[in-house]
Amino acid sequence: MSTKHTEAANRFIANKEQETWHNETLWFVREKRDKMAMDVPEWEELRELSSKIKMHTITHLDKYAEEFTRNAEANGVIVHWAKDATEHNEIVYSILSRHEAQKLVKSKSMLTEECHMNPYLIEKGIDVVESDLGERILQLMDEPPSHIVMPAIHLKRQEVGKLFEEKLHTEKDNSDPTYLTRAARQHLRNEFLTADVGMTGCNFAVADTGDVVVCTNEGNADMGTSLPKIHIVSMGLEKLIPNHKSLAVYSRLLARSATGQPVTSYMSHFRKPREGGEMHIIIVDNGRSDILGNDEHIQTLKCIRCGACMNTCPVYRRSGGYSYTYFIPGPIGINLGMLKNPEEYYDNVSACSLCYSCNNVCPAKIDLADQIYRWRQNLNSLGKADTMKKIMSGGMKFLFTHPALYKAGLKMAPIINHMPRFLIYNGLNDWGKGRELPKFAPESFTSMWKKGKVQKKNE
Amino acid sequence: MSINSKNDILSNVKRHIKVQYDMPDLDIAAIQYPDKLEKFTQMCKAVGGDAMVVKEGEDINALMRSLYPDAKVIASNLPEIDIATVNPDKVEDAHSLNGTDLAIIQGEVGVAENACVWIPQNVKEKVVYFISEYLVILLDKNKIVHNMHEAYDQIKFNDYGFGVFISGPSKTADIEQSLVVGAHGAKGVIVLLR
Repeated sequence: MSTKHTEAANRFIANKEQETWHNETLWFVREKRDKMAMDVPEWEELRELSSKIKMHTITHLDKYAEEFTRNAEANGVIVHWAKDATEHNEIVYSILSRHEAQKLVKSKSMLTEECHMNPYLIEKGIDVVESDLGERILQLMDEPPSHIVMPAIHLKRQEVGKLFEEKLHTEKDNSDPTYLTRAARQHLRNEFLTADVGMTGCNFAVADTGDVVVCTNEGNADMGTSLPKIHIVSMGLEKLIPNHKSLAVYSRLLARSATGQPVTSYMSHFRKPREGGEMHIIIVDNGRSDILGNDEHIQTLKCIRCGACMNTCPVYRRSGGYSYTYFIPGPIGINLGMLKNPEEYYDNVSACSLCYSCNNVCPAKIDLADQIYRWRQNLNSLGKADTMKKIMSGGMKFLFTHPALYKAGLKMAPIINHMPRFLIYNGLNDWGKGRELPKFAPESFTSMWKKGKVQKKNE
Repeated sequence: MSINSKNDILSNVKRHIKVQYDMPDLDIAAIQYPDKLEKFTQMCKAVGGDAMVVKEGEDINALMRSLYPDAKVIASNLPEIDIATVNPDKVEDAHSLNGTDLAIIQGEVGVAENACVWIPQNVKEKVVYFISEYLVILLDKNKIVHNMHEAYDQIKFNDYGFGVFISGPSKTADIEQSLVVGAHGAKGVIVLLR
């Protein structure tokens, strides 16, 4: 019953110390989120509103997209539309080449990851500089992010220290986070000062004002858009919300859910281009409009990319972002991957214990676990159901529909308690891998009931 | 390029929408604090910054000098800030503001629940808010609201068409979730209330 996820997870958990650290650190973030949520008496009401605002917006998306475009254009912004990743990348490159830009400094954007924009631009000779500290570390390592909000969460300080020693010429064996962050500040300050164009993602796009809202703690999106004269925004179609009144709701949910902070340090509202500059917004579809027609999975479009579902997920915490084959890991990534291409990303649906914790923390109330369950139900029609599981399910069905056989089996079951380990935990029993079987009770409940052994407990 | 893509995307959107959901009523009874000013001050500290109330008749320039004795390059376009050495309205180019030790700026709305201060761009080069090593935000203490709903009801934009909520200093925890203040922006933020 191994999938690409379980195989990769095996490699991750081979380093027990790292696995434990990863698990506990993300759980700590989850606990910070809980504390923040509990400080807001109307928290559940906010989640409900958030869900409803998004359901309204995505089911009126044509109207809001046109309203947003009209207002942004009236503000002097140039709006582009991209059907897919290729078109998005071509638009970015056409803007860069029109300005003869050589260096693009960008803040974090999962959409540009989705579009594989960096390799495309680097191939064309553009110097693409990631400016979020975590993203920059990974770019220097030539690795992808392993979490959508905390991209370098899988790395230890010593690894970053070693990397900076080589790339930024920091002191040997100094892996103090403050020292390393200062070194990165200096290094990236120079990149900001020499960039020709700044690029950001978009957390929220406000239809009735044309505002693009970007949230960061580092201030990198602001540095990158306050020095170069050209600003390119890459935004997914589903980032639209109707107005500032809706934005107020999300401004209270996003950072609390993501990192357990009351708000990010900077929440920037870009309405017009800088004086003498240009602002471009690229609205990207890349499959989003198709999801609108998918009743079972439409709710993925409510996602605000906070990462709370990852922080709470027992499988994500103990297997790491790289164990998933889609570039977005965790519960939301499992679903988005399946929507992108089920043939390619079906391995990830096994990375879920159906504990439903993700549903309970999601600030947009996405039915994440229900969706994963539904994907699993449909695996057989994709020809991707696990053969061993199918045989066992078939066997169990036979057993459960033949009571005499079931009862006989149950009577025999306690024998397993006394069998030698090699007979139980071997290659034939997939359920015995990585877990201990429970002890079978010496007598079944049915048998105890019939003999009158089941008594009401005295209070 | 994109007029065809726009039409294709929008028609695909229209084709796929089935059930349409209503917009909910957004007027909710959001959190209120017994003492907004106290909560705001507490939150400023919680997010790694600080807030202090200027005493009646206290000289702001002298206060700045005492708080930042080492600051050499001080940027401000506020007429009352005599100690400013550079005016972000008058610089040729945003890049020349690199090396600013202290920026003193005007905020418009403070938010008690999360220490946000609304800054509608009110200088020519907004980089001054982010590039300075330390940041002081002046704020009328009567302009503190309880929560973000009230804040969004009040905020305004200037002609520059940019505005930012700033809550404390720049920070990162990208190395082992260890909190470091001063990633790219200000290493310290003080809100001066008066």
